[in-house]
Amino acid sequence: MSDQTLAPARASGRSEWAIDLAEVGKIYKGKIHALKGIQMRVREGEVFGLLGPNGAGKSTLVKILMTVIRPSQCKGTMLGEPVGSKHVLRRIGYLPEHHRFPGYLTGAQVLDFYAALNEVPRSVRKARIPELLELVGMQDWGTTRVSRYSKGMRQRVGIAQALMNDPDIVLLDEPTDGVDPVGRRDIREILAELKRRGKTVFLNSHLLSELEMVCDRVSILVHGEVARQGTIDELTAGQECYEIELAGEESAKQLAASLPGMVRFDETGSENAGLAKRVGGRGELATGEWVEVDHAMLRVGTTDAAAVQPIIDKVRAHGGVIKSIRPKRPSLEDLFMAAVDGGGAAPGAKSSKNPKRDMKAAAKGGDS
Amino acid sequence: MITQTIALFVDAYRELNAKKLFWITMLLSGLVVLIYAAIGINEDGITFLWFKLGFIPVTSEQMPPAMLYKLLFINLGIGIWLTWIAAVLALISTAGIIPEMISGGSIEMLLSKPISRTRLFFTKYATGLLFASLQVAVFTAASFLVIGIRGGAWEPSLFLAVPLVVCFFSYLFAFCVLVGVLTRSTIASLLLTLLFWFCLFVVNTGDNALIAFKTQFEAQRDGYQTSIDSSREAASKILTARRADSDDPLPAGYVATDDDIRSVSPWMGKVFENRDEAAEGIRKIEPWSKGVYVAKTALPKTQETVALLERWLISLADLDALSSRMDDEDEEPAPTLEETEGEIRLDDSEVSRRMQEKIRNRSAWWVLGTSLLFELVVVSFAAFLFGRRDH
Repeated sequence: MSDQTLAPARASGRSEWAIDLAEVGKIYKGKIHALKGIQMRVREGEVFGLLGPNGAGKSTLVKILMTVIRPSQCKGTMLGEPVGSKHVLRRIGYLPEHHRFPGYLTGAQVLDFYAALNEVPRSVRKARIPELLELVGMQDWGTTRVSRYSKGMRQRVGIAQALMNDPDIVLLDEPTDGVDPVGRRDIREILAELKRRGKTVFLNSHLLSELEMVCDRVSILVHGEVARQGTIDELTAGQECYEIELAGEESAKQLAASLPGMVRFDETGSENAGLAKRVGGRGELATGEWVEVDHAMLRVGTTDAAAVQPIIDKVRAHGGVIKSIRPKRPSLEDLFMAAVDGGGAAPGAKSSKNPKRDMKAAAKGGDS
Repeated sequence: MITQTIALFVDAYRELNAKKLFWITMLLSGLVVLIYAAIGINEDGITFLWFKLGFIPVTSEQMPPAMLYKLLFINLGIGIWLTWIAAVLALISTAGIIPEMISGGSIEMLLSKPISRTRLFFTKYATGLLFASLQVAVFTAASFLVIGIRGGAWEPSLFLAVPLVVCFFSYLFAFCVLVGVLTRSTIASLLLTLLFWFCLFVVNTGDNALIAFKTQFEAQRDGYQTSIDSSREAASKILTARRADSDDPLPAGYVATDDDIRSVSPWMGKVFENRDEAAEGIRKIEPWSKGVYVAKTALPKTQETVALLERWLISLADLDALSSRMDDEDEEPAPTLEETEGEIRLDDSEVSRRMQEKIRNRSAWWVLGTSLLFELVVVSFAAFLFGRRDH
């Protein structure tokens, strides 16, 4: 990738926010509240991930930014200009979800056509096309019609297309959709390179593990509202724990025998009084850390290894066989599930009868 | 801005190029031109390649070759090929432009560019007309050569066909685009446009039929009136002469009354009846033809737009000369009203001449202006819907 192709982002000099949104709302046909007052800020030069279950409004939000959809209400700027201004789009690269390029165009023609619509001069287009095709590993396919491409190839050309205007912000809606693992790694590398050059990258994805690898900050959208927002460290703060896994059929009994006296179980949280049946119960240590029992698994909400030792002693004293002990940080998936299950979502929004199950399915589908 | 417009047009060209139908239509166009280039005329009659078509009794003396080719161009080339067959093929090729543009996955790519929706829409609309323009231009150029080489007449005015046929096509395309925006479906736009076209055809046919009836009635009424006028004159003279020697002579310049005429020539009673019948017919048709006229004013006038070409290429005088040359042989005096017992025999060519005149009396401004106004309204509405919608 040459320096001309993707020059470092121009400093806008107005604010540190590449995207600064407030009160973004969208009501479809007067009834369905797709977005309910989104507040979102994306720093210049960061990789920002927007995630959320299907139907949460992710694509609607991205489309509002790209003027494809008109917001019902919107206060916000992109690169210092109000959202909805056509002018600023010149400095933004965009890959829509489920994009479809005209089948009669070749890969190179796709790059040329959309860059021309972005008013990139002809000479610049000519120079950039081979460079970007090479960047996405499509240099041998530039003269083949898009209709003969596989899904992954279309995605690669789509990403190249989003970079043709040397944008300051790159907005990618599900960029790894349909791309094989090698392709995903390539795309991650491209994203890293973009970040290195100071571009702001706005990723919209439900491939949680992928976002985790590349994103500086994420925002979780649930039912048209921002449920969580921040760096992954910020979001996981206070949720790190030690996971102690016991072996053997007797493990539940052993736990039942060892924990009383140490753990004060939260009676409201569990229906049954007997500890043996409280597998799935949640309680608190005398020192304040939370404890969770899940069959043969015991989780202790602390990052301090010393705090776990007395529990280990106790369990071992009761004959428990410990299979593994490891510190655990919640993954993005855990955060996502917590956000989806737990909150931010008001009832009555656009959702199916069983949103919980749908969302879990969506998250799983994303990882497969 | 120019970069974007060029890009959209280049894209449209690539799309046309990729569509086999575009080239098939072009090929067929060439074939039509070849066919009529193969038709010739000499003093013996019409020829096709080297065969004589003896069964068509027309020679180059009655119809100069240039006229033959012009008529072939207007009636066969434009009248049948371009405005029926090629127009349908063009609609099939272009009906998908708007539905494809606004389909999911493709519209986002376009709307996310620094180009206003209105400009995007109208540029796309113009690219649709590119198809028709290219086809008509190529066809007309080829015809121009044929008429020049084979007919010996180099007529640049032939190229009026390009704007006229594109206009004609644009009325239909405007409607097609509106349906495309509303339904997002290629097949729906195509079918509804064909239906709309058919309706226009029906209205136009109705209009022509009404004009024909009205003209016929008018010709009858005028014919009867003429004969009444001359009978009145004759009756006045006869009565004045009869009464000149009597005690009660008629005053000088006496004009015979209707009763006088009837008393002088009894068969004239039937003529009066027939005249009044014809006048009654006109009176009855009047509201209908007014209604159809109003409807036509609001609607695009497809056939009349194309007919402007004939109007501009061939003058009425030319047509008269042609028909008089053709009708030379069977010159038979029309029977008098007395012989037919008061029934007039109308000269068909006279009636059709009157019809032609009537149709040509509708100004080109009315034909083109109101049609283009319709198109403007329809396309603006489509653009408004396109601009307002969330995609």
